[in-house]
Amino acid sequence: MASISLKKLNKSYGALTVVHDIDLEIADKEFIILVGPSGCGKSTTLRMIAGLEEISGGELQIGGDLMNDVPSKDRDIAMVFQNYALYPHMTVYKNMAFGLQLRKVSRDFIDSQVQDAAKILDITHLLNRKPKALSGGQRQRVALGRAMVRNPAVFLLDEPLSNLDAKLRGTMRAEITKLHKRLHATFIYVTHDQIEAMTMADRIVVMKDGHIQQVDTPQNLYDRPVNMFVAGFIGAPQMNMMPSVIERRGERYFASFDGRELPLPAHFDKSRIAPYEGHELVIGIRPENFHELPPADIAPENLAPFSAVMELAEPMGSEIHLNIVAGGRSLIARVSPRFKGAIGDEVKLVVDTTNMQLFDRQTERSILY
Amino acid sequence: MQWLRDMWTKEGPGIPKNAPKKTGLALFADTFAREWWEMVKLNILFILAALFVVTIPAAIAATARISVAFVEDRNTYLLRDFAEAFFRYFWRATAWGLAFTLAIGLGIYAIVTYASTAKDNLVLTLPLMIALVATVFIAVVACHLVVLMVMRDLSAATLLRLAAIASVVRPLPALATLAFVAALWLAHVAFYPVSVFMPATLNFSLGMFAVAFGVHRAAVMVLALPMAIQAHREPQAGDAKHI
Repeated sequence: MASISLKKLNKSYGALTVVHDIDLEIADKEFIILVGPSGCGKSTTLRMIAGLEEISGGELQIGGDLMNDVPSKDRDIAMVFQNYALYPHMTVYKNMAFGLQLRKVSRDFIDSQVQDAAKILDITHLLNRKPKALSGGQRQRVALGRAMVRNPAVFLLDEPLSNLDAKLRGTMRAEITKLHKRLHATFIYVTHDQIEAMTMADRIVVMKDGHIQQVDTPQNLYDRPVNMFVAGFIGAPQMNMMPSVIERRGERYFASFDGRELPLPAHFDKSRIAPYEGHELVIGIRPENFHELPPADIAPENLAPFSAVMELAEPMGSEIHLNIVAGGRSLIARVSPRFKGAIGDEVKLVVDTTNMQLFDRQTERSILY
Repeated sequence: MQWLRDMWTKEGPGIPKNAPKKTGLALFADTFAREWWEMVKLNILFILAALFVVTIPAAIAATARISVAFVEDRNTYLLRDFAEAFFRYFWRATAWGLAFTLAIGLGIYAIVTYASTAKDNLVLTLPLMIALVATVFIAVVACHLVVLMVMRDLSAATLLRLAAIASVVRPLPALATLAFVAALWLAHVAFYPVSVFMPATLNFSLGMFAVAFGVHRAAVMVLALPMAIQAHREPQAGDAKHI
């Protein structure tokens, strides 16, 4: 049982507090990812869980036991570092076996653990090689293998894919996800890459400036961000933010942006919108909610015409990221690869407001959730 | 110090899983390039273990055990595995060492004797040739036997029989390795004093590695024979399957 509980956990270096009283419950066998920009405290949090950083305040429990003062080696955890941290003078086998040797485990057990891990990670052919001969991906597998042989209850991974090229990163993402399902262990993974977070996690913890912003499933984070930071951080290209004024006509509310009127969907809680009538707030629209033609599967009352000036087109193969300017704001629309247009042209798009987000301008919090 | 760290941490080209496996001399060179430092350490261990003279056979057996692991591309913990093998094969290696020293010594004595008299009596070239072939064959059998001994625990009779079969079936690789070992020592003599450190660094371990590399295939072949499978007593059978 390796549930993890952080209660008012904080970390200070003198007067500087880098992690502020965070509360987090991680279930046994869960794959949770801490994500956020550099300096948000995600690695520090992971290192506190690992026992590599002293906890300044609060409680850390693993499996219900208080771990604040328990040495790292006794926490039943294994950590994988960004730079792999392999011993360069040891073979892959010895790198993987070293931790168990220090624990005076029997030789046969070490051998079976190493062979099993190597088989799972498909590195059997590398066992007698030194790290200098290995590519980045192979080194990363060895680092994972070294963590696996200890059969820990919790795996801590600190940006393990950051040193790999984009193609290999994609492959390793899938490998780590499969590994989690196979090992039935709790995984806590730190990354600044929201694609890694979205594709691998059961739940994502979004952090900023030492505070947890939101903890939720990847889809919920994408669909229901609690504030502008989360809305902007999750999703690539990021959500378009536009200051708008809320107006009411009859039973319906509209967001007015630079002369364009965007109807708010009927399923929005009107009691939450009503206080903002006549006031300015920020609307968020995902790039994929812009269309060249009205989509057949969207209710017409949630569609609105949207004209803008084309600034740049970035062909991605399967789609085009269209940089457009409307009301003096740069926005991004994802359109089909068949889109034709030239820089400076006025493009006529249709915006789907079904998944539109509304944020309070002062607090930057969502007014919908 | 950055350059030092970069040197240690620089990514390599990677090792493709399905790359065609090297064979023959290319494999020998590849293994040597990979394990040369281990061989230097192994050489020092051998010299230390053989200092007492009576321990030479056991030191040879221990060196052979490590060399077989190099050939089979298996992990070794040099000091631990060497020490274990040294004590494990001490009596067996000593007995076989005495027997082969005696046999090869007799062979050399016969060769020298017949060679000195064959100049005057040509008829004696026949026993000279027989003595020469027999002595070389005993050396080839010794090479196979030491490798077989460290690959699987067998009775003395079975071991000798298998070594003899391997020597008859594939004598050429063993002869080539013996030539290589001889060349190593000749190089030491020829280039002395430049080569003064050769015996201290590589001659013993590289020589034994060459022997293990040369006879390994024959050893694996004979260990698959029914008599070897029936005779083995301890769980070392898996060793032969690694390559």
